[in-house]
Amino acid sequence: MIRTYRALLVAQIQAASQYRVQSILWMLFSVIRPVIFLAAWVAVANSQGGQIGAYDVRDFAAYYICLSLVSNLTMSWNAYDFEFEVRMGRLSPKLLRPLHPIHYSVVENLVWKLTTIIPLAIVLVFVAITFDARFRTTPVHLLLFLPSVLLAAALAFLSGWALATLAFWTTRVHAVSTFWDRAAFIFAGQIAPLALLPGPLQTIALALPFGYILGVPAEILRGGVTIPTALQLMAGQVVWVVIFYFAFQRVWRVGIRQYSAVGA
Amino acid sequence: MVRYVRLLQLFFRTELQYELEYRLNLVLEIIQTVVVTGTSVAAILVLFSYTTILNGWDLSAMLVLLGCFYLVQGFGELVLQPSFEKFMEHVRLGTLDFALLKPASAQFLVTVRNFQVVQLAQMGLGAIVVAVGLSRIPSIGLAEAIGFPIALLCGFGLIYALLLALSTFAFWFVRVDNLMALYWSFMDAGRFPVDVYPGWLRVTLSSAVPIGVAVTVPAQVIAGRLDPLGLGLLILGTIAAFVLASWFWRLGLRSYTGASA
Amino acid sequence: MTDAVVDVRELRKTFRVTEREEGLAATLRSFVKRHRKDVNAVAGITFRIEPGEVVGFLGPNGAGKTTTLKMLSGLLHPSAGEASVLGYVPWRRENAFLGRMTLLMGNRTQLVWDIPAADSFRVLQEIYRIPEGQFRSTVNELTELLELQELVHKPVRNLSLGERMKVEFAAGLIHSPSVAFLDEPTIGLDISMQVRIRRFVAEYNRRTGATVLLTSHYMDDVVALCKRVIVIHRGRLLYDGPLADLAERMAPYKIITATLHDGAASSTDLDAYGTVVSREEGRVTLRVDRQVAAERTGRLVNDLGSRLADISVEDPPIEEVIDRVFTSEQTTVSA
Repeated sequence: MIRTYRALLVAQIQAASQYRVQSILWMLFSVIRPVIFLAAWVAVANSQGGQIGAYDVRDFAAYYICLSLVSNLTMSWNAYDFEFEVRMGRLSPKLLRPLHPIHYSVVENLVWKLTTIIPLAIVLVFVAITFDARFRTTPVHLLLFLPSVLLAAALAFLSGWALATLAFWTTRVHAVSTFWDRAAFIFAGQIAPLALLPGPLQTIALALPFGYILGVPAEILRGGVTIPTALQLMAGQVVWVVIFYFAFQRVWRVGIRQYSAVGA
Repeated sequence: MVRYVRLLQLFFRTELQYELEYRLNLVLEIIQTVVVTGTSVAAILVLFSYTTILNGWDLSAMLVLLGCFYLVQGFGELVLQPSFEKFMEHVRLGTLDFALLKPASAQFLVTVRNFQVVQLAQMGLGAIVVAVGLSRIPSIGLAEAIGFPIALLCGFGLIYALLLALSTFAFWFVRVDNLMALYWSFMDAGRFPVDVYPGWLRVTLSSAVPIGVAVTVPAQVIAGRLDPLGLGLLILGTIAAFVLASWFWRLGLRSYTGASA
Repeated sequence: MTDAVVDVRELRKTFRVTEREEGLAATLRSFVKRHRKDVNAVAGITFRIEPGEVVGFLGPNGAGKTTTLKMLSGLLHPSAGEASVLGYVPWRRENAFLGRMTLLMGNRTQLVWDIPAADSFRVLQEIYRIPEGQFRSTVNELTELLELQELVHKPVRNLSLGERMKVEFAAGLIHSPSVAFLDEPTIGLDISMQVRIRRFVAEYNRRTGATVLLTSHYMDDVVALCKRVIVIHRGRLLYDGPLADLAERMAPYKIITATLHDGAASSTDLDAYGTVVSREEGRVTLRVDRQVAAERTGRLVNDLGSRLADISVEDPPIEEVIDRVFTSEQTTVSA
């Protein structure tokens, strides 16, 4: 398996070098979304004397920078690609090989992130300086961040694939993706840090998986939660990863069976 | 010219007939649009649960702005994005020639040819959000009522000019998806008033990528915040942008057909 | 003499292409210094076409045929020279000119994919400002000639390649042009469809008197439709005259391919029948003078008897004819 991964990685790195410029441009543009909401919250904070709850302007800046980083590290676009592959009949050749198609996706995902993380970090440094961001990170936070972001990436990846598997049954995966993305929009920590979501919304957010993909690791990186809380939230991440791991396995098995039955 | 209006109607009607055949698709798209606008409104409400005014914009004005955002973005997705995407495909496949063989303006035949009628829903929802926002404003003067559609049309014109300029690069580089990514990501910034953004972004959104201006100004007009001078400048700016972008496109076309400079 | 429909003088088109060798070093170098080369797609051609003619524009791939058509239809500006079509300078793309001519490109479609052709026709009617009465009668006539009854109301994407070509033809002629430029009209089509298209073009020319200039690298297209042929090779005009004279004059021979049973090919001496061009795998190819081709074929069949498995008699391939035209003493051959 290790050898397979190495081979896939090498191949993917070569392929990715073709559209390196494109990847970086996309990444640059993806910074705009956090900047937009950061600017909005700065305006809100300024109207209230510079502080909203536990966040002042510098905290907001730190939060959205961390969010942007986490967003990049957990990005997963499988639903779209998978549906495309199923429709174009490109899935069948992959199914003939003794390697689960998900592994190609993992490698593609990894390589993209490797390509874009350094340029992104540079851009974010500039943003940090411009907004005078204040990070409350401690070494323990950093230590916890690593597993947290890995869990988040796994969660994003698995949930994305579980969703993508719907492509076996319907051509309307796009509609489902929209619902998923918009729920993430509200509950993942994009429009507001999770702590600032109004009461009922916050409760819902902690019960849904979205926050555990973006908001949780972002706050851990920023140092915005205490260590005990961080551990609790990470436990939540583990729970959701397990749920989606089994969900994906199940859906995939059923889906594959029905796909082959119809005639791949 | 009357003929171009009739052609536009034809382009719209044929697409509408086609989309109506896929009723489930239509319904799903509309539902999606409702979900998207709904969640965006929710985002605004979350922000305003902590304040009553944001950079001088109160909730009603913000809702009007959000509505204008969906009106402008919706217009882009209604006719401009489909047409420009098709145009880039034409350049790639060599089928642009067919537009050049017709006795009508090639720019017209290419840039407003393809519709995605269901995006009217996005514009409709935008209009509803504007109306909701306006309902909380005590009174709207005649000047505002006249200025608003003018400013909105200018907004549409600015977006047209921007997309025209971006896609013209297809004449030389064929694949310009990266430039289009610029449009999509900056368009997202139209959801908030342009004065909220830090200097460099505000300037960009008011000039090179005039999305901020396209959305914010109509909202300002109807909320009673814009003076006639500002509106006049917007109109002039739109005309200038349109002329400049069209000139640039014709340059690209000349290069494509090998006309010596 | 009537005014020529197409009048071309010393038309020239040169393209600048960047060349790059493979490999990383070359890629890096090309960032700094681009290697440009001038390609003469059309190197100065002159000809006239009278109204109602159906002229074939023959030449191998890359000869400059399509480039010439693009200049005559206004899609490309020439590098030098003059041309006038119907009295207009094509690359000025005046609406009056565009409304009276058409360019049909073999494997490219102008019809909207998802809607029935009939809807696309309506759009064209509006663009060309065709009065309703004329529109209806033209559509009826084209439908009849091309057998489109079943096809026009189906979405274009549901049509087969041949059906799509027929509908494309109709779309291209819906405004009753006086001049039709056809660029590789039968490319990619099966034999029966090729025959149908050729018949249609001939009939269309007969009924409407439209002038047709068609390019092809299939000899059969030209043989079926054109009395006059212009041969172009590497951007130069090599022959302009009656088709009948071309093969006869430039390649006055036929190719006989005889397939012999087991191994007889290598041993049998066939020099008496003609010039042996190649021997391989049981097949012998002979070059034989046109006049005597039939008689030699008969003798081969008789003499070889049961040793002969198969025999075919063909015109030399067009590339060979053109090669001969190119390498002949004169650079152009007048009719």
